[in-house]
Amino acid sequence: MAFSLREVLNKNYQRWMAKNIPPREKITLNRKNIFIVPTRNGLLFVFTSGLVFIAAINYAVSLAFALAFLMVSIFILSILHSFNNLNQLTLSSRSTQDVFCGEEACFRVQLSRSPKRRHESLEMNFPNSSSNPASNSMTSYTDLAVRDTEEVDVFTLASKRGEFKAPRLRVLTRFPLGLCRAWSVVDLNLHCLVYPRPVPFSMNQFDSGASGGSDSAINREGSEDFYGLRDYVPGDSLRQVAWKSVARGQGMQLKQFVDYVDNKIWLDWDMFYGFNLEERLSRLCYCVIQLSKTGNVFGMRIPGSEYPPATGPDHRKKLLRALARFGAE
Amino acid sequence: MELNYQIPRPALIWTLVAVLLVLLPQSIRMPTWISVVALLCVGWRVLIHNGKLDYPSRMVRVVVVLFTLIVSFSQIRNIGIGLDSAASLLALGFVFKLIEMRKKRDIYVVISLCFVMSMVAFLYSQSVLTTLYVTLVIAVTTGAMIALNRSSTVADYRGTARLALKIAAQALPLTIVLFIVFPRIAPLWAVPMQTGVNSTGVTDEMSPGDIGQLARSAELAFRVQFEDGLELAHEQLYWRGLVLDHFDGVTWRRTRNSSSYSVAASLADFRISYEDRVRTQGEPINYNVILEPTQQPWLFGLHLAEDVNDEFFSGRNFELFNNGRITQRLSYDLRSYMQNQTDVLLLGSSRNRNLELPDDGNERSVEFARELRASVSTDREYANSVLAHFRQNQYFYTLNAPLLGENRIDEFLFDTMAGFCEHYASSFTYLMRSVGIPARVVVGYQGAEMNPYENYLMVYQYNAHAWSEVWFEGEGWVRFDPTGAVSPMRIELGVQEALRDDPAFMEDDLFSAARFGGIGWLNAMRLRLDAIEYEWSQLVVNYDEEVQFELFERLFGEVTERKVIMLMAALAFIVIIAVGFTVINIEPRIQRTPINRFYLRVCKGLGKVNLVRRRGEGPIAFRDRVCAQRPELAEAVTELTDLYVKLNYVEKSASEAEQKSQMQALKAVYAKLKAEMRALAGLRRTG
Repeated sequence: MAFSLREVLNKNYQRWMAKNIPPREKITLNRKNIFIVPTRNGLLFVFTSGLVFIAAINYAVSLAFALAFLMVSIFILSILHSFNNLNQLTLSSRSTQDVFCGEEACFRVQLSRSPKRRHESLEMNFPNSSSNPASNSMTSYTDLAVRDTEEVDVFTLASKRGEFKAPRLRVLTRFPLGLCRAWSVVDLNLHCLVYPRPVPFSMNQFDSGASGGSDSAINREGSEDFYGLRDYVPGDSLRQVAWKSVARGQGMQLKQFVDYVDNKIWLDWDMFYGFNLEERLSRLCYCVIQLSKTGNVFGMRIPGSEYPPATGPDHRKKLLRALARFGAE
Repeated sequence: MELNYQIPRPALIWTLVAVLLVLLPQSIRMPTWISVVALLCVGWRVLIHNGKLDYPSRMVRVVVVLFTLIVSFSQIRNIGIGLDSAASLLALGFVFKLIEMRKKRDIYVVISLCFVMSMVAFLYSQSVLTTLYVTLVIAVTTGAMIALNRSSTVADYRGTARLALKIAAQALPLTIVLFIVFPRIAPLWAVPMQTGVNSTGVTDEMSPGDIGQLARSAELAFRVQFEDGLELAHEQLYWRGLVLDHFDGVTWRRTRNSSSYSVAASLADFRISYEDRVRTQGEPINYNVILEPTQQPWLFGLHLAEDVNDEFFSGRNFELFNNGRITQRLSYDLRSYMQNQTDVLLLGSSRNRNLELPDDGNERSVEFARELRASVSTDREYANSVLAHFRQNQYFYTLNAPLLGENRIDEFLFDTMAGFCEHYASSFTYLMRSVGIPARVVVGYQGAEMNPYENYLMVYQYNAHAWSEVWFEGEGWVRFDPTGAVSPMRIELGVQEALRDDPAFMEDDLFSAARFGGIGWLNAMRLRLDAIEYEWSQLVVNYDEEVQFELFERLFGEVTERKVIMLMAALAFIVIIAVGFTVINIEPRIQRTPINRFYLRVCKGLGKVNLVRRRGEGPIAFRDRVCAQRPELAEAVTELTDLYVKLNYVEKSASEAEQKSQMQALKAVYAKLKAEMRALAGLRRTG
């Protein structure tokens, strides 16, 4: 019951947010999207001003009243100053890089100010919420005191393969007095692609290719090029018997043909028969990483698409993206 | 994150400075060892920060807690639960918190305590100086909070200080409005404040030399302002304090009725007979007194002072008492009838009390009195002849009275013949009583100094005085001042004139400005500063629920709850908006060059003929639209726009001379355009 209530609240919150602070690549903070609440220290401060006030009443000390009022005024001003510390701050999204599942996704955000303003002690992170269970998202700190723009990397855990839309980004400040915190949660349309989590396994079946280093690999039982002769074993096809040798009295010998396969490796969906979808993708992903590392030329076949063998970082990226997006439609 | 939190160095320094500043005024009142402990704790905290020492171990903390407990118990036993013990305990806990200050939250606890300690400072004094000092402390404390919330990369002391001052300055108007408007509440429960500060001023005991001791002090006793700017002659300014009617041969004392000064029962008894005891004559004088804290309950006023607001107790001898010791500057309104006669009938017990003398001693005086009384016919004549005796013989008015032995009155009257007012008052009263005339000693102050800046009187401790009241049949109590007979200057011009050459006078305040009254500018400065202090007391320190109520009534007529709430809401709203606008400075406006401004004027002109430039429409787009809508203007508009675009965007010139010539060119084109527009308008009107 409680859970569902929370869910409902969360849903309402998300809807409210989407309506009032719609997603945008560039957002300037203003009174419509900044929230302020007192911190615990702020509440302590207010409590103390209450104490001073009560003492002022009891001892009938005029200036103690003034002191209590001064404290309240300072508190009110701290609200305004904290607000001012975020007001007119512009956030915009910068490039993001693809990550592997289970890694921290890094989003680069640009902060800019108008020249007459200062923004100090800004904290940025992705708050934890039910839609973003990734806990302990790291907080990045920055100041906009000297330069007009500043680029900040904000991290969050990429926990699911595929197109990853970052949760709302929280910009928070307690400056100047720490009595209240002003924050905004903005949606900068931060996206990144999350590759499958690579699962290491022994890649023995690629040894010939991987360790050969020579120009070719052989598939015995081929049928194109003559390779050599071997003794006949009963049961071999008579069509391959080297009859000329038999005629020379050299006994029954078999002509061997091979297909010359170059070191082009094919990664195939069916190589990991028996695994489920994500596990297959994870292993394929691992293969792609490993094979790229050793500079192999390889291709990949997954249901619905085939990538001809190639090599190089672009190829690697293309394959990883395909794996990341697999099944997305 | 909080685990290895290291308080930033600037924040620590700001906090420690704030703590030291807050403790500084307390250190005078606290036992010295607390100040030493405070300095040790501050030093320890600095060493912790530098990595030379560790945070206190569990052991140390237990010891500290036990220690504090023991100290608090012993304090309560020795001093009692009073303001002093509470303040020093608070200070102790406060400095112990310093060494335990690890996290951000701990600093906020310390900062909150700084505010509480500032409040304690106000309990002791509400002077202008204290207020300025506390303001400084609060600015530094605010600086500590700022330093705590700044990243070290941008933090510099000057920037932090500037911001702290800015916040304090912005908080000030709001504070003032809250101070004036926020409804004051009368004390919920009375807290008797006990301070260990020594009492000052006139006391209810007078031994020879006591008043003389006060004359060594140039401290202010109270300030007085008469209604309607009334000015009384110096010799009329007898600030009556206490009546001392019991004499044991050395000391004059006030006989206390039962246990305390404020006994409701005796008060009720007294009220009934008040009408019978006082014969009211003449016009009343209204005035306001602001008494400096004396740590004593009695108040001072002119002859037969009545308390206007009915908040004090009246003593048997028409003295005034506050309910409790006066630990704060106290302001009260009095009404005095200078010609009033009291106790025209003196009844048995009172009469006896005012005739009582020690059984033996001072025989020469008694004999002298009897002889003198026999030589005149009436009691009044006798009193006058005693005064004449003082006047005609070689009596001296001096602070350096010789020490007196067993028969004090005798020795003074016939041997040493030199003394201060208490000697004269004492022997005069003695001489009266010894011939059966009821008489008593009155202590208080005599004289005052006028402050011309705010038109009020300043009464200092050195104005302390003692005189006598003698009872005559049919007249009641009559004031007699034997000092005036010896030194008329003392009464007419003041003690400064009378004791000008006495080295003991004001010797406790060697550097007091009052001592240098002769130096013109210094004296003017002293009076000016005191006038500020007086205004401060009048306007700020005395601002309580009654003053507030009166102010509201004067401004808004009858005070209703609704009016008060509306007023508060309105004022708070106005102030918050005003402060808000100064803080949230609206985005700086785009800097416009003269050329920009001129172009906007042109657009406005075109707007009058229904060619309004749309929001965000560029000059070229606007030109094209104008040309399409009004081909008649096309030529002039095109010329002007092109010139503007060229000047504003293409060749931005720097020098002023160039700009001037460009403006002239633009204006010339605009004149042409205007002429065309006018022609167009004229055409329309005729067509």
